[in-house]
Amino acid sequence: MALTITNISKVYPNGVRALKGLSLTIGNNMFGLLGPNGAGKSSLMRTIATLQDPDSGSIDLDGVNVLTQKDAVRKILGYLPQEFGVYPRMSAVDMLNHLAILKGITAAGERKEMVDALLQQTNLWDVRKKALSTYSGGMKQRFGIAQALLANPRLIIVDEPTAGLDPAERNRFLNLLSSIGRDVIVILSTHIVDDVRELCPRMAIIASGEVLLEGSPSEALAALEGQIWSKVVATDEELRAVEAELQVISTHLVAGQHEIRVFAPASPGPGFHAVPSGLEDVYFLNLSRHAAN
Amino acid sequence: MAMFWEFFTFELRFRLKSISTYVYFVLWFTFSFLCVASESFGPIGFSNGKVLLNGPYANSFNDLYACLFGIIIIAAIFGTSILRDFQRDTYQIIFTKPITKFGYLGGRWAGSFVTTVLVFTGMMFGTFAGTFAPWADHTRIAPNHLWWYLQPFLSIVVIQIFVLGSLFFTIAALTRKLFIVYLQGVALFMLYIIGITVYSATRSLEHFWSGILDPIGLILIDNITRYWTVIEKNTLLLPWNFSGDSPGVFLYNRLLWMVVGLLALLVAWRLFPISVEALTAQSQSRRAAKARLQDEEERCPARSLVVAKLPRVRQIFGARTSWIQYLSLTRLRIRTIRREVSFWAIVGLMIVFAVNNGHFAGHLGDENVWPVTYLMLQAVEGGATLFFYIVAVLYSAELIWRERDNHFDGIHDAMPISETTDWLSKLTAIAFVELVLLTVTMLVGILMQTIAGYYHYEFLQYFKELYLITFAQIMCIALLSMFVQTIVSNKFIGYGIVIGIVVLQPILFNFGWENTLYLVGWVPPYTYSDMNGYGHFVPIIFWSITYWFAIFAVLGVISIAYARRGTEDSLAARTRLAMARAPRLAPAAIVFVLLAIGSGAWFYYNAHVLNEFLTAKDRRHIQAGYERDFKKYQLFPQPKVTAVDTDINIYPARRSFDGTATITLQNKTDQPISQIHITDEQQAVSNVTFNRPFHLVSRAPRDLYSIYALDQPLAPGDVLTLTCTVSHTTHGFRDGNEAPEFAYNGTFFDASFFPTIGYDQGYELDDPRRRREEHLGKLQEMAERGDPVYSRRNLFAPSSDWITFHTVVSTSADQIAIAPGYLQRTWRQNDRNYYEYSMGSTHIADFFAFLSARYATRKEVYNGPSGPVNLEVYYYPTHTYDIDDMLASSRAGLDYYQTHYSPYQFTQYRIMEFPRYRQFAQSFPNTVPFSEGIGFIGRMLHKDDVDLTYFVTAHELGHQWWGHQLIGGQVQGSNMMSETLAQYSAYMVMQHKYGKDYMHRVLRHFLDRYLRGRAGEIRHEPPLALVQREPYVWYEKGGQIMYTLADYIGEDKMDLALHNFLMQYRYANANNQADAADSTRGAGAQDQPYPDTRMLVAAIRAQTPPELQYMVDDGFNRIVIYDNKTLSATSQKTADGKYKVTLKVQARKFQADGNGVETPMPLADYIEIGVFTGKKDEEKPLYMKKEKMTQEHETYTIVVDQQPTRAGIDPYNKLIDRIADDNMIDVTHE
Repeated sequence: MALTITNISKVYPNGVRALKGLSLTIGNNMFGLLGPNGAGKSSLMRTIATLQDPDSGSIDLDGVNVLTQKDAVRKILGYLPQEFGVYPRMSAVDMLNHLAILKGITAAGERKEMVDALLQQTNLWDVRKKALSTYSGGMKQRFGIAQALLANPRLIIVDEPTAGLDPAERNRFLNLLSSIGRDVIVILSTHIVDDVRELCPRMAIIASGEVLLEGSPSEALAALEGQIWSKVVATDEELRAVEAELQVISTHLVAGQHEIRVFAPASPGPGFHAVPSGLEDVYFLNLSRHAAN
Repeated sequence: MAMFWEFFTFELRFRLKSISTYVYFVLWFTFSFLCVASESFGPIGFSNGKVLLNGPYANSFNDLYACLFGIIIIAAIFGTSILRDFQRDTYQIIFTKPITKFGYLGGRWAGSFVTTVLVFTGMMFGTFAGTFAPWADHTRIAPNHLWWYLQPFLSIVVIQIFVLGSLFFTIAALTRKLFIVYLQGVALFMLYIIGITVYSATRSLEHFWSGILDPIGLILIDNITRYWTVIEKNTLLLPWNFSGDSPGVFLYNRLLWMVVGLLALLVAWRLFPISVEALTAQSQSRRAAKARLQDEEERCPARSLVVAKLPRVRQIFGARTSWIQYLSLTRLRIRTIRREVSFWAIVGLMIVFAVNNGHFAGHLGDENVWPVTYLMLQAVEGGATLFFYIVAVLYSAELIWRERDNHFDGIHDAMPISETTDWLSKLTAIAFVELVLLTVTMLVGILMQTIAGYYHYEFLQYFKELYLITFAQIMCIALLSMFVQTIVSNKFIGYGIVIGIVVLQPILFNFGWENTLYLVGWVPPYTYSDMNGYGHFVPIIFWSITYWFAIFAVLGVISIAYARRGTEDSLAARTRLAMARAPRLAPAAIVFVLLAIGSGAWFYYNAHVLNEFLTAKDRRHIQAGYERDFKKYQLFPQPKVTAVDTDINIYPARRSFDGTATITLQNKTDQPISQIHITDEQQAVSNVTFNRPFHLVSRAPRDLYSIYALDQPLAPGDVLTLTCTVSHTTHGFRDGNEAPEFAYNGTFFDASFFPTIGYDQGYELDDPRRRREEHLGKLQEMAERGDPVYSRRNLFAPSSDWITFHTVVSTSADQIAIAPGYLQRTWRQNDRNYYEYSMGSTHIADFFAFLSARYATRKEVYNGPSGPVNLEVYYYPTHTYDIDDMLASSRAGLDYYQTHYSPYQFTQYRIMEFPRYRQFAQSFPNTVPFSEGIGFIGRMLHKDDVDLTYFVTAHELGHQWWGHQLIGGQVQGSNMMSETLAQYSAYMVMQHKYGKDYMHRVLRHFLDRYLRGRAGEIRHEPPLALVQREPYVWYEKGGQIMYTLADYIGEDKMDLALHNFLMQYRYANANNQADAADSTRGAGAQDQPYPDTRMLVAAIRAQTPPELQYMVDDGFNRIVIYDNKTLSATSQKTADGKYKVTLKVQARKFQADGNGVETPMPLADYIEIGVFTGKKDEEKPLYMKKEKMTQEHETYTIVVDQQPTRAGIDPYNKLIDRIADDNMIDVTHE
């Protein structure tokens, strides 16, 4: 399967240009979408999930026009929005059962099998009969994941799925996704770089509605090999001085001191030592380059 | 304080920036502007043609109504001021700041209060502006008085805003759910209707507590102003002091509700938790449940990290899946609704409402009837219709917005379901809620019938009324509301638009837009009758509902097209979506558009092509034109009708009749007559011919007035025969205004479908307001007594004196046809029933009617002093309840009237039931059509109940003397000689059966009706002996005057006076004419004067002792009002074991003029002083004496044997007194 996004643009009524001629091609397997807040990730995902239309451009899914043949897309779609609420006084099992019917799983036996399996997988089995409104944030998120995976979707769009999950559940979810994701398209938006690194054979970084980088994480890392340098600076004055001279990608606090990472073809000076490049460096470097343009 | 100011100004600024504030203001401005500027718009517009439109009463009244319907605006402003923080999730920011409760709550409240008051000032500006509208009725607009605006505004509007606003504010602060705030508004409204039902059904003469406890004020203003005459309504404001007919009630009411408002605020201040944690956690138990769940989760055993493979499932899409999806969505939505408290609150409210109103079905004041199903439905469903609509509006908004309100839209909208499936399941969920309510209505109705002992359940009627008619109308509103909620972006604006549309329609109807084709959702009023079922209303109900349902269904299809899906909310984006969805929806849209066009066209064809469509205003215009064009002929000499012979065929199934009439006319003037004028108001007369050469001179449009010239004039005394065809044919159906005379079962039409000779004054417009509208000038007053011309015309049929009557009448095979006269023979021909009735040579008033229905009959023979009389009752077979009562009353009346007045002139007396489309009984010669709406289902539950059937039967029988033996001239006062005397006669028959105590209680209701009647007078109130067209004078006042006078001078004296009067003046002009059989000629045929009230008063005066002569003058020739009151009553036990009562009383007497201006009269009157034992309303007299009072205050000392409990002046309210209940008070013991 392949999802081809060609040159889509979107301007909201309040004047915000959410997408600017964005084009991407996404094939089977996991695809990570990285970007800061307001980059247009959610706009893009909602557009693919048939919930909004771009002003221009086209999206094609194996010959299906996503923008006009929405029903066809919805039949094979699993969508987890970034934020969602639940009906009061409904249990998880009832709600999943209902959503399974909406997804066209009309055979009662299959439906039960699927709902039970998902409840097991998302570790909600024991609380399946409790009202959704009493769920904690993590439980609710797991319910959201479960509903997105009903009916063996072939296009899965998950917007910030790991937000609110504890590390164990996050791992479990990522495992689940990757086990499914080999044969289907999974688009995962996140601002957690590790999610992408761990899972996604391919990724894109977007900001201000544009694609800054598209490729596989390993290629991107390889491109930076040997060009990332790190140094611990003691004072704010020193930090400012470095910033003025060099291209600082990021700073981290380490035991109360700033550890800065700098992009440079060769060693930028004393005190800097070469470090292995991380996906985070790719991300920050692209953003800062974009901001500079 | 600074914080208060901060919140206060913030709230004000926010409101002043909000468009809704200005919309509300303009709404009130327009409403009150139109109340003044436009005839028949506001509640005042209809009330009385002389009440000033910008006067104190009008302003107070409009203010009250504005506050009733403004509940939704008050709720919207106060409710949202608090809820805004919770809807927009700003509470986390606000309540983590160090704010004080007073600052937050006080500021928000005060800001809302000031905003609401400002919004409502639109009322005052609108009224003020309305007074300058050049097209307004300026005879009803006085120079503007600032205080007339401010006093009602301050004492009604501002206080209502304070009270209701504080209640809404408190509920909003404590529940933080807008749905509940609105529900509370609805609950308040329903509880108020419940209260009004209880009040009007049980304590209709209680004017103190009912007024004070009234939170809205409709009963309050009625209690205070119920007897206000025009002058008072145009000068008095609702009193802030202790004056008026209900002293202090207004003041106490306002104080009470201000205290309630304050308490509400106190509750809000005490109970509002001002911390985020307390505000967000739904409830203790739910918080605990959440905590438990999380604990459980932490204790969960570690699980394998290996991912199991998910099973493969098949996805199937198609029609069957759509159906399953629809069922699942519907089940989910209904389940969600069922699990909400608010749903059960609505059902509970409906049960309380229906139980209460069902309990009072068939009670009205002190009258009781069997709760037949139409009455039960009227009680349990009638008042709830608006409630059903509001519930539909609330739930349609909830369902349209639910996914968005719950933030579930992201998941929901990406599901592979069609918009249609989703939308239909929402519609079904609304239908479910409404069906639950309607079923509750039906079950409670049946339950309450059972409790009332009525077991004749008409399930089919319940089904038709609730599930076919009402349900269809509700679903129309639901469709409209779903459409509006789909289009607008704000739920509350949506509520407002839909409720506004619903409420606006009756207003537009009164305003003159009477066309169902453009009154949104309108179904013309219909009446169920036991006799005729839904009868001829079925097509109009069916087609109007079909038409509007089709239109709303088109809106429904549009709302599917525009249904929100996804994140884009702009209309442009949704129009794009709609275009994409359009092709699939087009077939449904086309079907409904075609249905709308088809049903609309069929409706139009029936209501506008087959029948002429006339609005009320058009009809008035025709009346006015008739008066303008033909009034000049009013005294044009015409011959009089002396005999009527008809041959009538009634076709009940076609609601039609045809036939011929042969009318004998005689010239009873002293000059030749060369033209015959015929009025034909019903367009029923055709083929007019005379038995001598003639030609048509002119014919007015609609055949209203035709003039025929006789080639050879009719000489004085000469006789002429007029023959014509009479008919009425019903074509299709009309948009309202169906002729009530014609029914499938229960035809009843009268002489108005026959030619009227000459100009008919009865057809003139009588409402002064309508006359001004038509530029007609004042209505002609009736002629003075003794007028040489009008005295010779008969009051009831000026173009006739007395007639002989013969008819053959036929009807369908299953019905009986009846007309005045003795049945000569019956036969069957062409599968129809024929009846021949004749009065032989007996002269009767020219007053006849034809009836036909499927009757059951009860007959018996009464053997009285003047020979046997056949008593017959023709009734609907299940209406057996009152037949014995009617026969008993007929016997008692025949006994009394024949003993005291004169022999009965006929040998039969027949009562026949007709459908309740018209609610009266009418006395034709020996024939009394009696509406099923006022008889046949009566029951006596308590010994004090008014036995209305017995009373009406006796009254109509009384007319066989007063109206059919004695007829007055067409002059002032004559009406009382039929109505007042029939009323008095019936009182006497009642008194003989039920006793004096009973009559005293009944008469208090009649006194109330008289005083209310004069308060609504649109011209001027005449004294009894000069009454013209004022029913409250000739019935209630006349009855009371006669009854009291008989009590003072003695019943035997009064009856002797009536006997003497009757024997001298009855059958005036009956024996100086020719009838059809034997024509006489000559000057002897000339008319003589008919009697008038001068002769009646003289006859009564002759039997009245000198010291009571003043009562005759007061009663008949003046309008006299007493203000009698007991100031104190104390008793002391005397040494010999008796009780000495000291009674301080006050008596005042006033004479009122026609407008109600009162001037004091000197007192020299006999007034009863009484001492009683027993508790209030069950007093037994210990002492009763008529004392002559000559000064305002008197003290009486009375010794009685038993311990007295009550005492007073004129304790039985025999004299006319505006405050009837302060005459008697409890005796205090010393």
